[in-house]
Amino acid sequence: MIEGFRLGVFSRGATLWDGLDIAFGDAAAWFVAGPPSSGKTLLLSILRGERRPDAGDVVVSGESLYRGSAAHARAWRASCGHVPEQTIADARLTVGDLFRRSALAGGGVRESERKDRADRLLEMVGLPGSLEWRIAELSISERVRACLAAELLRGPKVLFCDGVVAGAGIPSREMLWGLFRALAREGNTVVLAERTIPERWALAAGDAEPVGPFRVYRLPLPGAKGDPG
Amino acid sequence: MSERPSLWWIDWRLSRPPLVRETIGRFLYFCLLGFALLSLLLSGGASRFLADRYAITAVLRAEVPPAGAEGLARKVAGLPPVRSAAYRDPEAAWAEFLRAYPGLDPLRGAGGNPMQGYIEIRIRPDRLTGADVDLVTSALRSVPLVEQVLAGDEWLPRLLRAGRLASLACWGIFGAFLAGFFLVGRLQERARALALAGDFAFLAERGVPARRLAFFRAAAAAVSGFLLAAAGTAAGGGALFLSLRKFPFLEGAIGPPSDLLLPRTIAAVALFSCGAALLSAAASLLGWRAARSVRK
Repeated sequence: MIEGFRLGVFSRGATLWDGLDIAFGDAAAWFVAGPPSSGKTLLLSILRGERRPDAGDVVVSGESLYRGSAAHARAWRASCGHVPEQTIADARLTVGDLFRRSALAGGGVRESERKDRADRLLEMVGLPGSLEWRIAELSISERVRACLAAELLRGPKVLFCDGVVAGAGIPSREMLWGLFRALAREGNTVVLAERTIPERWALAAGDAEPVGPFRVYRLPLPGAKGDPG
Repeated sequence: MSERPSLWWIDWRLSRPPLVRETIGRFLYFCLLGFALLSLLLSGGASRFLADRYAITAVLRAEVPPAGAEGLARKVAGLPPVRSAAYRDPEAAWAEFLRAYPGLDPLRGAGGNPMQGYIEIRIRPDRLTGADVDLVTSALRSVPLVEQVLAGDEWLPRLLRAGRLASLACWGIFGAFLAGFFLVGRLQERARALALAGDFAFLAERGVPARRLAFFRAAAAAVSGFLLAAAGTAAGGGALFLSLRKFPFLEGAIGPPSDLLLPRTIAAVALFSCGAALLSAAASLLGWRAARSVRK
């Protein structure tokens, strides 16, 4: 369970939001929709333990991320996966490098096993045989999918995705819809931050809970009531 | 929760080609430094060169029998600073004199061999100091068989001072090259830390503490520095060994190749390798710190 209590952020000389109470239960896929510049990326970095909020606290598994032990915060971050909004920072790398780096963060995976799993994950996100491709040569959609696949290599318990659905593009939506819900069904927690929720997803998720400038949806698990399939 | 990732050889695992280039460069540099270090250790700077050319001459009285002179030479050879002590009888002394001053044969015709026997004493290169030379000369002067001791008393202090300065200059140049290794190494580490900044940020975001990263990078740099220094010095030592075998005249200034395997030489190489390891670790930590201050 990830809980944010009375979260407040002061940014660019103004209060972005304050008194935000937000909670994400385990084994579920959550969708946070918010307008541009509303602080979605900031919220994700606060929830990941990367950026201390200016007010309030984040509690994970009953212990504060920012006031608790450093070991707890490190363990939390180690259990998280994060697909950022795409930047050019990793342009010099190849897709294979993303997997190598991810494997390193996950405690080391045998090279043969890494390659095998990387091939399967890349095939799943629609990028088969792309291990040698350079990130600089990929489209935005391909970069997003490659980064997502590399994060999944470690099997993170909690996955934060920032603008992944919009970045991956409409043709990948079905794949992502199935993937995120499947991850949730397997006991993982997925938190997606997007500007808008695809209409079909919104219909399936039902009513959103308004939290500050955001609207929080819980995506239905496969086979659950209201699941359109 | 994920297990703690192993960060040993993290740079190698993240980015191999630049590290391979750096490693080859460092190995070649250590070969050069190793060659210089072993040359300096064996030669003692300028000590062996000077010791090879410096000798104390103890001129014996005319009535000293050869057996007594040889006995005295053996006793002198037993003094700690003495490398060798050789007796030259009057005939040998005369022959040497003629080699040095040809055409003076008529001098002998007047009253027989005018030369007296003498003992030529050579000092060990590592004991060529004013105090040790005084020790030998004062011991010789107290012997009744010795008529005169020629030890270059007037110019020896100047010679020894010049030798010390030359040795200091040699070690200074060696130290400058070592400092150059440290500075270049620091720049390389900084450049690599900057190039891998994205990867390190990725790992830090996923719960890998920056301090742990810096520690393991420095530890890996220390281990590789030690191994490279040991291997480079061994290769440099091999080159020195071959040079001394091929050009024996170098032995006069540097020393015999067998000295390369003396325990004290090996201990010095081990110490040098440890020093290189420490310098490599320090370069890594400073490079990391500099890269972080650039990123902030």
